[in-house]
Amino acid sequence: MRISTRSIVVAGLLLAVAIVLAVTRLGYFPVPNVTDDATIMHVPAIIGGVLEGPVVGLLVSLVFGINAYFRYVGLPFFAGQPAWVPVLVLFVPRLFIGIVAWLVYRALHKTNQVVALAAAGVAGTLTNTILVLGFAIGLGVLPAAIIPTALPQAIFEMVVAAIITVAVVAAWKQIDTGRGSSV
Amino acid sequence: MSEFELLRNITIGQYMPTGSIVHRLDPRAKLLSTLCLAAAFSSLRSILVNALLILLLLLIAKGARIPIRYILRGLLPGIGALLFIFVLQLFFQGWREPSGQVYFEWEFIRITRYSLYVIVLGVLRVVAFLFLISLLTLTTSSSHLMHGIETLLAPLRRIGFPVHEVALVNMIALRFVPTLAEELERIMKAQASRCGEIGGRNIWRPDKAARTRLPLIIPLFLSALRRAEDLIVAMEARCYGSGTNRTKFVQLKGGWLDGVVVVGIIGICLLAWLTPWPSIHRLLPGM
Repeated sequence: MRISTRSIVVAGLLLAVAIVLAVTRLGYFPVPNVTDDATIMHVPAIIGGVLEGPVVGLLVSLVFGINAYFRYVGLPFFAGQPAWVPVLVLFVPRLFIGIVAWLVYRALHKTNQVVALAAAGVAGTLTNTILVLGFAIGLGVLPAAIIPTALPQAIFEMVVAAIITVAVVAAWKQIDTGRGSSV
Repeated sequence: MSEFELLRNITIGQYMPTGSIVHRLDPRAKLLSTLCLAAAFSSLRSILVNALLILLLLLIAKGARIPIRYILRGLLPGIGALLFIFVLQLFFQGWREPSGQVYFEWEFIRITRYSLYVIVLGVLRVVAFLFLISLLTLTTSSSHLMHGIETLLAPLRRIGFPVHEVALVNMIALRFVPTLAEELERIMKAQASRCGEIGGRNIWRPDKAARTRLPLIIPLFLSALRRAEDLIVAMEARCYGSGTNRTKFVQLKGGWLDGVVVVGIIGICLLAWLTPWPSIHRLLPGM
């Protein structure tokens, strides 16, 4: 399988952005729920998928999934679980973020670029949230009662991911968003 | 001024050359040992053996002449969220496992031996993984790490897995983490000098957090993409191209010490898995 230099480099830099956002806590937004802060760690995978296609989206998602695994596997939720459970909950769902974002963007970009970017941001976020929570609840790691408490976080993540995706990709590709220039 | 000093807390991705024996080990030996220890920490449920393995990591850090405090600094950015999760687990996990000794019960709060066990195990695992990843990146340069990952994953090339590309993506990411952190510091200072807000955590105003952080995050992405374009031009100008016929200037050569280290770590992990470790509460009277 041949992957271009562009795909490799863009995936690497986007992954570096995700790591910096994680370790500086800038990628974590406080929301009024009891579970966790809202996060935008998945947004580089979305932007990678939208800008450079499914390969970059998958590459960023793959390494993001590995990072997520090592970051969260130590949490008490997984303390009594077999070793394959955190792999299925923390790693596997992340693989689809970039690919779903690319698919949604590709389906809509000819209609309206801005709407396509926003939809890609929302779709990628929903993929992450639904699959992670779905696996966690299905495998008994978390109770189903967590869903209403995770809703504020999920909604906020979708909105912020859509904003960042539109802002970054529109600025990079010089797409006219209709809001004019500040210069 | 400390809110601008982001690099202080980023230990992942930074290489600290001290010339120790750990630094001189083959990167493949270090990677295999890290994977083995990661598997051990993920699957072992005894607090005693997790604590003993962390002691081993402390000894390795001492041998590598890496200051322990420097590694533990990597915990600081996430400590608030971790404490919150652990407190929730402490109070509510007791209802999940109703059997076992109850230490405290009031209304909906229940602290049992099991909830304490889950918390302590969680803390040990978080510290263990931080040490593992930090030790690996602090004692191995990015290029050696990439070569090591690529060599170990080479057999997967036969099934079409892009081994070289994944290793290079990792290397580029690790190489640029400190650079982008510096860039972020510059952006924060630029925003602050223009009276932009850069801090604050109010859970009831996530819109405010978004308004203060998005002017930092979006320029960071654009800066990363600009650097990506420069790197692409630099690599293509030097005729870089991935493929099965790539050769390397640096050839990894393992020695007997690397074999001893890998076998030793695997032996320790097997011993940890196969030994019937006593529960910690049997060792602590009154628990």
